[in-house]
Amino acid sequence: MSEGLDNLKHIVVLMMENRSFDHMLGGLSLVMENGKKKYPLINGLTGSESNPDTKGAIVKVQPNAKFQGQLDPDPDHHFPGVDLQIFGGAPQGPNRVANMQGFVKDYFTQTNDVNRSHNIMYYFTPDKLPVLSTLATKFALFNGWFSSIPGPTICNRAFAHYGTSFGQVGMDIFYILDNTIASVYERMLQAKHTAKIYYYDQQSSTMEIVNLLKNQPQLFATYDQFIADCASNQLPEYSFIEPCYNDHPGPGGGEILASDQHPDHNVQEGERFIANTYNAIRNNPALWNTTALLIVYDEHGGIYDHVVPPACTPDGYFAKATDTGTGAQFNFDRLGIRVPAILVSPYIPSGTVVPGPEDPANARIFEHASIPATVTNHFLNGDAKRTVREQQAGTFLDLLSGPMRPDSDIPFFNLGGK
Amino acid sequence: MATPSNAIFVPQTERGSYNPNRAAGALLKAQTLHLREALLKHLEELAAVIAIDPKSLNTEGEVSAYIHRATALLHTHSTKPPRK
Repeated sequence: MSEGLDNLKHIVVLMMENRSFDHMLGGLSLVMENGKKKYPLINGLTGSESNPDTKGAIVKVQPNAKFQGQLDPDPDHHFPGVDLQIFGGAPQGPNRVANMQGFVKDYFTQTNDVNRSHNIMYYFTPDKLPVLSTLATKFALFNGWFSSIPGPTICNRAFAHYGTSFGQVGMDIFYILDNTIASVYERMLQAKHTAKIYYYDQQSSTMEIVNLLKNQPQLFATYDQFIADCASNQLPEYSFIEPCYNDHPGPGGGEILASDQHPDHNVQEGERFIANTYNAIRNNPALWNTTALLIVYDEHGGIYDHVVPPACTPDGYFAKATDTGTGAQFNFDRLGIRVPAILVSPYIPSGTVVPGPEDPANARIFEHASIPATVTNHFLNGDAKRTVREQQAGTFLDLLSGPMRPDSDIPFFNLGGK
Repeated sequence: MATPSNAIFVPQTERGSYNPNRAAGALLKAQTLHLREALLKHLEELAAVIAIDPKSLNTEGEVSAYIHRATALLHTHSTKPPRK
């Protein structure tokens, strides 16, 4: 084993909401230094990617993304909408080809405004997102981390907890159809390990709801407790963090902003939340040296990405045509759209880029089932009943391959600014 | 720990972002339905415990089982909101 793996005691996963890779990090590929690409291995944007709009005009990607006010109404990210985004409106059938040409057309169905439908092609320049861009270039960035399902939040988040959504492709309450598949938290507790889901506060609560909250309320704590647990060396072996999902009054009349980055919530507040989470680990040397932090987005939120989602091993479930809304059954044999994913640890060499589909010979594909797969492999030696999908999912702790980096080489976020 | 070379400045969120009157999206509406479903579990458990006549409990084992179920319910519902 590597020094990093030998020392690893904690895995922390922070799952944000509804932004695609290209929207948040695609601009890194356009950064130049001395006449060359500064980050040549990152599979971001070239600047020439485009989609047709409903009038037939070609709409290129543009560096015009704003923190808020641009993606209202919420871009479609339910199963039929994502199908249109991926296949450009081609009729169902085995021979259709994914082309990522339906994003603008699909956003038009929300906006009914051709000009506003172009917003779906906007991306952030790296200077706008200092936290995400810094972490992506100073630690490990995954070129090939995909949402688990070409669909919305709830079913995608289920993959992070169970390694499957038990056939669910929507937002409905999902039920565990196989009681032998335990959540990763239950697996940990049953094996006398420690695990917790930290939600922001009771006004925001959790998206990992029915099956976990009603059966395992002891699994949950608030984000304040996460910060306290980091400071007091009480962090569980596995932690899953949920951002704040809505704007609501704080104690004493304060204002609590949504930090999940779900459109149309302010992206800057999410940046600060990511930085705060990172700093809580970074500020405690004992924790920093023994923790791997994964920052990942649950799904793309309907926003453009240029990489075609790859096929995957079916997990044994299927969604009926009446449930997919596309007129065709879905066999869970294809991943959802690519999302930002960054692994942070002092044992990861700066500037690590994990190759994805752009490098077929070396490609490593990840999805949210990679989370329980990695946790279960590391802490439980793989000893749990798991879905085929989770068994096949890539794991990522081998990226802790380097020697411990000096403190001067590790970024620190100053949140005190105006 | 932080030095000028590795400190990254993170700006404050833009003023005027706070809007609790924003229309709730599909995700938040789904969250309320899921929470309601979770509450039904508590309701069922509460009804089951209330249905037990305490006068029918004779042994320490029976009493302790009742106290366990009742306390677990009361403990959950009396949990104070988290500190901010």
